[in-house]
Amino acid sequence: MATDIQISIVGSAGDGTIAAGEILRSALAGMGYKVISFDVYPPEIRGFGKCIARMRITTEQAYSLKNKSDVLISLDDSHAIPHAGEVRECGAVIYERGSIVQLPEGGHISAHIGPGQLPYPVPIRELSEKSTGANRSRNIVVLGFLAGLLSLPAEAFRKAIGRKFKSKAAAAEASEAAFKAGLDLAAQTFKLDDVMFGPPVSTVVAGATVEMINGNAAVVRGALDAGIDTFFGYPITPATSIMERLASEMPKRGARLLQTEDEISAISATIGAGFAGARAATSTSGPGLALMAEMLGLGVIAEVPSVVFVSQRGGPSTGMPTKTEQSDLHMAVYGGHGDAPRIVIAPTNVDGCYRCGGKAFEMAEAYQTPVIVLLDLYLSNRYETVVFPSRPPFEADCNRKPGKLQAGEQYKRFALTGDLISPRAIPGEKGGMHVITGLEHNELGRPNDQAQMHEAMSRKRHEKLKAALRHPDFTHYKRFGDEGQVDVGLISWGSTFGECLEAMYKARGEGIRCAAMKVVMLSPFPTHGVAAFMNDCKQVLVPELNYQGQFANLLQAHVAKPVTRLNRVPGEPMKVEDILEEIRRLAGRGKTAQKAA
Amino acid sequence: MGDIKPVYLEEKLREVEESGRLDYRSKTLPTWCPGCGYFSIVEAVAASLCELNIPNENAVMVSGIGCSSRFPFFVNTYGFHTLHGRALPVATGVKTANDALTVVAVGGDGDGFAIGGGHVPHAARRNVDITYLLFDNGIYGLTKGQTSPTSAIGFRTPTSPYDNPDRPLNPLMMLLSYGASWVGQAYAGRPDHLHKMITQAMSHRGFSYLHILSPCVTFDKTHRTYSNLGVQVRDLPADHDPSDRLAALREAMHDETPALGLYFREERPTLGDALDGLVEKAGGEVAAKATAKPARKARR
Repeated sequence: MATDIQISIVGSAGDGTIAAGEILRSALAGMGYKVISFDVYPPEIRGFGKCIARMRITTEQAYSLKNKSDVLISLDDSHAIPHAGEVRECGAVIYERGSIVQLPEGGHISAHIGPGQLPYPVPIRELSEKSTGANRSRNIVVLGFLAGLLSLPAEAFRKAIGRKFKSKAAAAEASEAAFKAGLDLAAQTFKLDDVMFGPPVSTVVAGATVEMINGNAAVVRGALDAGIDTFFGYPITPATSIMERLASEMPKRGARLLQTEDEISAISATIGAGFAGARAATSTSGPGLALMAEMLGLGVIAEVPSVVFVSQRGGPSTGMPTKTEQSDLHMAVYGGHGDAPRIVIAPTNVDGCYRCGGKAFEMAEAYQTPVIVLLDLYLSNRYETVVFPSRPPFEADCNRKPGKLQAGEQYKRFALTGDLISPRAIPGEKGGMHVITGLEHNELGRPNDQAQMHEAMSRKRHEKLKAALRHPDFTHYKRFGDEGQVDVGLISWGSTFGECLEAMYKARGEGIRCAAMKVVMLSPFPTHGVAAFMNDCKQVLVPELNYQGQFANLLQAHVAKPVTRLNRVPGEPMKVEDILEEIRRLAGRGKTAQKAA
Repeated sequence: MGDIKPVYLEEKLREVEESGRLDYRSKTLPTWCPGCGYFSIVEAVAASLCELNIPNENAVMVSGIGCSSRFPFFVNTYGFHTLHGRALPVATGVKTANDALTVVAVGGDGDGFAIGGGHVPHAARRNVDITYLLFDNGIYGLTKGQTSPTSAIGFRTPTSPYDNPDRPLNPLMMLLSYGASWVGQAYAGRPDHLHKMITQAMSHRGFSYLHILSPCVTFDKTHRTYSNLGVQVRDLPADHDPSDRLAALREAMHDETPALGLYFREERPTLGDALDGLVEKAGGEVAAKATAKPARKARR
């Protein structure tokens, strides 16, 4: 039996909502299910902001979350009430039974449970206090109750709780007691027959390992597997966890990380380290990338390798720091002054974060330029079960080195070679002394602003990147769905591609000839492959999470065929239903036609 | 003045040639105005590199933007002419990537204390093992003579035609408070002393800051001229104790009569030491430093 279940936990900041979600998905992944999960939380640490932990548990690969959840757990009714309608028919709502006398502000969620939904009132607070002497373990009580209700093995939860509280014995003990209290209560209640877990299916090849991690952790793993030497960064949501994880992992491998005074310093030091031959990176979000723009231009003209991991959030300015958006594409591709071409890659799922996280270092070295890896909050914080290969799929050294340098010979750092990539000497290398500069320069690196020189060097900086379109063992773009001519073709990028795939497969299920293409390499743009796909499509739909249609703009700059844009800025992932509706419309199947069918 | 010995050009040229310090000069001629104090700085740096016997390929000059920041082009080492104000973070990156390199950051007063002012305290407190040579001419020369953060109150320039309203910074006091582990001052008009100070600064293990007073002969005819500076500068008192930070601060306060010499020096762990300490705490292996060549190890 194929499993496809979605569970949502909604609470107020400080309720332990996100922690409960962590334990739940860790337990489920430990049991062998595929999990895709995304949490929503407010920018404040405490206060009363809304937190949602949401996860979809499947046996087949899923690409996004579903519109409807099978189970909703409320740790705070005022926040959970607006989500009562997201529970599917015959799904369950677990909530605080509470006291009739002390109605919570905004009412009790029981008044909002629909006719087909199953209410499970649980004395959550009472059970927490009875079992642990405090009300802090309400989040664990509901997990115990859920495990009992769905007949999930308690052992998997106990292990997950152990992992979560491995250095906090008291918390582990309290959680154990709270979990048992919830579990025992579920044994006395009626089972939820409509939400059933089938047996997990293992598809893992020998030697590989499966882990449930989020996009930021996957990027870190890619960077570590590619042999990152130095990292300089400044904390910013939602990229901070990249730096935090590297801070704990890099020293174990003899590598160095430094928290700098600002993002300008972070990118400056990264480029300094790149000049000195290190595999160097920094991470940031939109506001930090804006500060880095000038230094990235120096990286371009001085042809120094560097890697910048960017996790986008809602903008402009401080914008919405804990909300997702894909609105920094223009800045990543075009940001800064002058003609400053760089490489921009954007993974579409957590596995892609790992690959891009490592491949970025290969590309930075091979093409001697900054490489921006563009994530967004949704992808950074989205958990997926990922299969890691037994050997890291990254090259340790992609530098083009100068041969033996002759004494007295002047080394041409910017030699205009056939493919316009020049052999690079690194400080410490005998005879390779040279100066790199942000001034336009000649082949020796000496300042030179003659017309011919600027023409030749501008050409060099742009045309050398063409080779990146053939970078080995890298998915620059990929087509899914129907082969050949289709009625509707979707093209998208980044995290939104998951929702596009779900919508595309649903549309095919409705008999619409449909395909979807993800574009991972955004700069330089893989015009040839994308144009070929667009030729196969009667209609092209470009869904993305920004107001302007930034990817559509980029696409239209390279391919003339008109596209339909689907732009949303809700601060959360795009709804599969919205994309599907647009596919139906483009395929000539209106709402009425759909209902009749 | 009667006992000055005559110097013959031929003899002087032979002396320079035999010293070996020309190996540290590039074939690119400096772009500075005739009479600029910076000529004596480039000469002193070449002499210090030569004296310390640092292989050309192991030295890296990192600069920002400005007249002084053209410096890397004029020495025969590796160099990085970066952005306005960013010499220190770039130099921090170079040194962090490869401890075996001798890294010298150079720049002017505007580069270091206006646009790049936010980076100075952090390079100093971290004790990055680099030398920072600050060429202070109290003016923006490359953009043709505007006020800088070290220009005097009342200094008239094209951007302050009715007088400069801002009081100048006191970089020596700043660096002493920021925690720089070596702080000194020299004057471009005293090349022998300058050379000695640069050699000392480059020999120091940790962040060494050398403030070099130098006139802009083209755009400043009134304030920081050779004739004015020649009268104003003095030596630090013979009994000055360079381990006494408070005494150093007291001397630095008298910026109307700038004292030359070593203000402060202390030995303490460098940023590289601290980062190696983190590696040890984490149970990792500290990279070998025997060679200046970046040893790319498979860190898998």
